[in-house]
Amino acid sequence: MSGQILDLSQAPPPPLIEADICIIGSGSGGATAARVLAEAGRDVVVLEEGADYPGERLTQRDGEMYSALYMDRGGRTTEDLGVTVLQGRVLGGGGVINASDVVPMPPGVREHWRRKFALSELTEERIAPYEKRALADLHASRIPDAQVNRANGLLKQGTEALGLRGEVMLHNRVGCAGLGTCLIGCPINAKKNPRFVAIPLALAAGARFYTRAQARRIRYADQEFKRISVRVLESGGLRVIGQTEVRARTVIVAANAIASAELLLRSGIGNGHVGRHLMLQPQLPITAVFPDKVVAFRGIPQSYAVTHFETEDDPKHGLWGFRIEGVMGTPGMVGSLLPFTGAQGKVAMTEYDRIAAALLLVPDEPSGTVRVSSNGRLVISYMQRENHKRRTLQALREAARIYFAAGAERVIVPVAPPVTLTHPDQVEALAGVSLRVASAPFISAHQQGTARMAPSARDGALDPAGRVYGARGVYVFDSSGFPSSSSSHTMTPIMTMAHYFSDRLLAEAPAS
Amino acid sequence: MGCTLPDRSDPEGPFAFLSRRRALKWGLGAGATLLGGVGGLALLRGKAPAVAGLSVLSDHEYRTLSALARVHLPTGGAFEQGAEGLDLARAFDGFLADEHPENIRDLRRALTLLELGPVLFEGSLTTFSNLSAAAQEAHFQAWTVSDLLLRRQVAFAFRKFLSFVFYDTPQVWKHIGYPGPSLRGMP
Repeated sequence: MSGQILDLSQAPPPPLIEADICIIGSGSGGATAARVLAEAGRDVVVLEEGADYPGERLTQRDGEMYSALYMDRGGRTTEDLGVTVLQGRVLGGGGVINASDVVPMPPGVREHWRRKFALSELTEERIAPYEKRALADLHASRIPDAQVNRANGLLKQGTEALGLRGEVMLHNRVGCAGLGTCLIGCPINAKKNPRFVAIPLALAAGARFYTRAQARRIRYADQEFKRISVRVLESGGLRVIGQTEVRARTVIVAANAIASAELLLRSGIGNGHVGRHLMLQPQLPITAVFPDKVVAFRGIPQSYAVTHFETEDDPKHGLWGFRIEGVMGTPGMVGSLLPFTGAQGKVAMTEYDRIAAALLLVPDEPSGTVRVSSNGRLVISYMQRENHKRRTLQALREAARIYFAAGAERVIVPVAPPVTLTHPDQVEALAGVSLRVASAPFISAHQQGTARMAPSARDGALDPAGRVYGARGVYVFDSSGFPSSSSSHTMTPIMTMAHYFSDRLLAEAPAS
Repeated sequence: MGCTLPDRSDPEGPFAFLSRRRALKWGLGAGATLLGGVGGLALLRGKAPAVAGLSVLSDHEYRTLSALARVHLPTGGAFEQGAEGLDLARAFDGFLADEHPENIRDLRRALTLLELGPVLFEGSLTTFSNLSAAAQEAHFQAWTVSDLLLRRQVAFAFRKFLSFVFYDTPQVWKHIGYPGPSLRGMP
């Protein structure tokens, strides 16, 4: 039996869709679960709010692609505008628009989860096979040296000059042509993301994928059969053109730590932990201008990571410290992140082809919430903690030193007012940079924790099998369940855990 | 201004923060009081040229945003092309047309606040659009580093939007050394 991808914007759905299992979200968690469960013979329906954007539909243009592929057209933010919250809204989810970094959950993090959060079931022996399968599905490999572009090469050069530890990263590309626009999708489908691995396998096993299908509410969560209210969106995804309903015995929510919590809250499902403990892992960009061309917008944008300052087994936090990774965006994105106004901004952008940029990835502890306001709107609140500011400021200084060691003319910290350094002696001044809200362009790409796992309902929203406390047959299979930062990049941990949870579900829940 | 609001699929949006910022409403309320009500505001900001084909913005709001675009991305300097001629305010109007009604309302309020900024925060009798270009730039820069969160948020949001659209414009790319999309080429 072969499944199908049905675009509901093009064909009106029946008033009722029936399935054994309804999965909400088609990204790393949802697609993995769909594949495992469909291959086990379950009747699976997947609801995806976004559309299908295979390579031929990807234009490499900022305006079009951020609108098409990202939630809220790329403009989702915390309520105070302090952090831009990037979240995929496309068949295949975040894997379509991420930087293709494969960073498995460090063993120290799992140890931390067992020790601090009493998740004793998550032993190395139990999880390792699932991680191995995730790495195989991703076609994970080390990025070839020849594909480390000059911008990342400069980061590497500076890191080595200072005697720091760093590494060329693992990725999930096969046949990469170095087109440079990974963050707005790969037009030659070189990313081995869920769209091109798990989803085809799920389809082959009979799963049905509905796109432009926005799950709005899960009803009857305490009964054997649940009903999911679904809005049908027009092709651009901006307007509602119809509605339908899904009836299923089991519901798996895998719509990202923001949207999954939003759906549970909107549905009145779960305990008081739902929506709390949000980690955004806010990242801050930094740029360096070099005397000659860097052309960072070509080649793999993110291939080298400075890992020297990162620790995976901090006794209190697990993953902690920070890492620094090369990055680059298309002109619209870069222009929007630079802090200059007036003529100065144009001067800065004339150096676009001489810029190397990095992201400072600083893990956080739970510092925010997701809630639905009285008028039905999503509200993401986040308060950056002092320890996060401190580590971000240290990361700024280390990144600046690295770039100067690599020969940078200037280092620019994109805060308002802009800070420009012209000599390594000035680096320590960065300790005083203000990171106040709406002054520093923090970005979140790895949201976690809004329905964290715990052995009892007193301490979390999900049990260690991903089941929502207080509901019957409702699960969450994405990073919402992670009680602390799982990794600097969440795709691999989500795939690993979604497969593990799916196997547990198969073992525990009888087929209908 | 005729505006048909869509049945939005997603109530959240890039500027949703403003709706939850009652300060914006209060700021405008205080401003209206200071200005002796709507009549005072109308007198100060003067008449805006009529603009055809707008979906959401009023003529005054369009004028405010156009003025901001011209000072944020001026003609000349590092390269000749500026916001002038690209009609970024109309692009914003098109963007707004697909936003949630609350976001539309709040962004329009934000533009009014920006227009009234010199009066409310600097005691000037001239609104933003009627300032000289140099004064407009100085005023806007002051907003980006203001101690008042609301002003920083408004500045941050509009600066990001204008820069994003401007540098995604093919006419601009040759000036910044960007040869265009690697596979698709120049549009």
